[in-house]
Amino acid sequence: MSAEKPGDSAAAAPELSPLLKTALERLGDRVLEHHSARGDDRIHVARESILETARILRDDPELSFDLLLDVTAIDYLGQPDDFETKLRVWDRNSASMRRQPQRRHELVLPPRGPHPRFAVVYHLTSTKRAHRLRIKCRLPEDDPKIASLTPLWPAANWLERETWDLYGIVFEGHPDPRRIYLYEEFVGHPLRKDYAKQGEQPIQEYVGPGAKEPRRPH
Amino acid sequence: MSDPERKNPAAPIEGNNAAALEELHTPPMRLQFGPSHPATHGTVKITLDLEGERVVWSDVEVGYLHRGFEKECETGYYYQNIPYTDRLNYSSPILNNTGYCMAVEKLFGIATPERCNHIRVIGGELSRMADHMLCIGASAMELAAFTPMLYLIEGRELLLDMIDSLCGGRVTTNFVRIGGISADMPENFPEFARPRLDRALKLFEDADKLLTENPVFRRRMEGTGYLSSEDLIAWGVTGPMLRAGGVPYDIRRVHPYLVYGELDFDVPVGRHSDNFDRYLVRLEEFRQSRRMILQCLDRMPGGPVDADDPRVRWPGKGRVFNRMEELIDQFKLVTEGGMPPAGEVYHAVEAANGELGFYIVSDGTGKPWKCRCRAPSFSNISPLAKMITGGQLADVVPTFGMINMIGGECDR
Amino acid sequence: MAVQVVNVRRPAATFSSAKPWLAILKGMWVSTRHFLGNLGLFLRGRQDFAIHFPEQRLVQPPALRGMPVLARMADGKERCVACGLCEWACPTSCITIYPAETADEVERYPEIFDIDMSRCMFCGLCEEACPEEAIIMSRQLEIASYTRAGSLWHKADLLVPVEQLKTRTDYIRRNYER
Repeated sequence: MSAEKPGDSAAAAPELSPLLKTALERLGDRVLEHHSARGDDRIHVARESILETARILRDDPELSFDLLLDVTAIDYLGQPDDFETKLRVWDRNSASMRRQPQRRHELVLPPRGPHPRFAVVYHLTSTKRAHRLRIKCRLPEDDPKIASLTPLWPAANWLERETWDLYGIVFEGHPDPRRIYLYEEFVGHPLRKDYAKQGEQPIQEYVGPGAKEPRRPH
Repeated sequence: MSDPERKNPAAPIEGNNAAALEELHTPPMRLQFGPSHPATHGTVKITLDLEGERVVWSDVEVGYLHRGFEKECETGYYYQNIPYTDRLNYSSPILNNTGYCMAVEKLFGIATPERCNHIRVIGGELSRMADHMLCIGASAMELAAFTPMLYLIEGRELLLDMIDSLCGGRVTTNFVRIGGISADMPENFPEFARPRLDRALKLFEDADKLLTENPVFRRRMEGTGYLSSEDLIAWGVTGPMLRAGGVPYDIRRVHPYLVYGELDFDVPVGRHSDNFDRYLVRLEEFRQSRRMILQCLDRMPGGPVDADDPRVRWPGKGRVFNRMEELIDQFKLVTEGGMPPAGEVYHAVEAANGELGFYIVSDGTGKPWKCRCRAPSFSNISPLAKMITGGQLADVVPTFGMINMIGGECDR
Repeated sequence: MAVQVVNVRRPAATFSSAKPWLAILKGMWVSTRHFLGNLGLFLRGRQDFAIHFPEQRLVQPPALRGMPVLARMADGKERCVACGLCEWACPTSCITIYPAETADEVERYPEIFDIDMSRCMFCGLCEEACPEEAIIMSRQLEIASYTRAGSLWHKADLLVPVEQLKTRTDYIRRNYER
């Protein structure tokens, strides 16, 4: 139900929810696309204008999105948004796969498409007005950088650390860009589609206190 | 005795102590609190820098229970991920089941029958009651009050018995299915449940009597862990913690789902936004949950418990055994999964600790392209470093207890 | 619909701060009442405060999901036809089936049917997926073993006479009938 597709715009026009109407009015041409499907409203913005957009959404009295629920990313890996084509990336770790353990690190990856690979997704809600909005920004694979929202919401701090950890999205201006779940020596970002589910990491030699002492037998 | 005005524990130490500290200045002591500390009910590492008993700097590290829930979901069919959601918040599993299944139902566009919704509310509220009992009991035990913990665990056992009779598992429930529930309520469930609910309430009241007016408990809870309501919202905190700060944001009230819009219940809010108010909000929510269960039992409608939708619900066993079409249907549904239309949804339910949201991106196949869990514990614990820095070391324990961080949900 | 926002009642701070011994006495009365009640029950001969495990067992509800087992028919053979649906539905891939052919009317049977009980999470999806009522969640919960190899259960260990599974098969037929 993209507003930019000619075939759908007729169907999308009457569905424009009151929230989207207000948001489009306030944000103007910062909104690249807007969707309203299954009761969820979402807007697409360019990554350059994310900080500005978020500030308007937070400070405008009619929108007043004061609660940042979630920051995450999607790895589309050559897929267009909304998935017009269906591709299978890998088979699941099924019993047949377990019979061939040598194949478990293999991945069947689809060809890279022309679309930007990542999308960063923000979920906002308002404790006063009780509406929700989703913001999406597409990021290319070779330069996955976006401005951090930590100055606006401190809640973004940990959520962006998690997104960096699992997807490798760089948040510029983040005060504490560490991994949050995994250890610092971890290679790769596990929620990317090209990271095998059964992928193994090199064993890190422990160098902390007591490293030289003999190992206790199990 | 108890000083209700002690809003800011970070206030500097007054009088001649300050001069003494200045004179005896030593570098702050680094204390590693966790990852598995007897006074925290969750695996989290808190690094504290102490000057005497005061925390001058702190850092919270999570991730000790990270199991790759989202990666696992991407490689399983929609129906296969329901057991994994039990393991998110393992003290209130049915709420997680409900949240996930409702998100997938929203993706499919399925409406579940009334009886199913009522049973889901009963299961969910039982889970919430069990969660609050465990939270209060464990927090009290960490503050050295052992007896309330025993009463609350006994009451929680009664609630788990009810959950057990509903779905055959006490903690790993796997109860809710996409478009329905795994099995209908047993016929004698109302007669089974009512005396147990009364007994659980009685035990809960006893724990309340032991704790609420106890001067030691109050001195450790009052005024500690303070965070203003603006800060709570900015840090993304939801659930009882946010409501204790005076913000009546409860998804059951703001975006009613299932049958919450038709039930009669109160949303308790606090005023002081400290640990004691969080405790009181949980006490009141327990009573409201019991009220909701009794209402649901009274108004339980008849009819089927599963949506009549062949895309998601597997056909009945009798027909699978005896008829060819249903057998083929069963094979297709198990080996391909139900295929939702491509698209993305976000659906949130009010879990025991706050807003539990599932953001599911579908590419039109039987497996989700992405299944994101917005865990309340993760956002709730992120301001912990801010809350404890500047306070006393002893305040870390009640603050952490009242956040009720559940490792499985926070680390996923 | 009547959802109200109420303020929690915070007991006055002065009460317990002025007379802390009163609150402590009240708490002691609660635990004394519990003690006397339990003592009375004990003197009247109630013995169910604890369950002495191997001799006594908990009464489990009919919905209980124990370990998955294979139903054995009266002729000593399994009901399973090795279709592989349980293997497919299992979220943790703990079932391994190698099918083989037979001259019977069912034509197929599992030559190897292994369940790795250290991976199994008792979710019951295999039972729901089974089109033959051949794999059934029994009431068996004691599956500990001394070795890792001991938690891999083979077909011969898994076969249970179908009469012993009657509680569960009744439950399935009643509840999975839509």
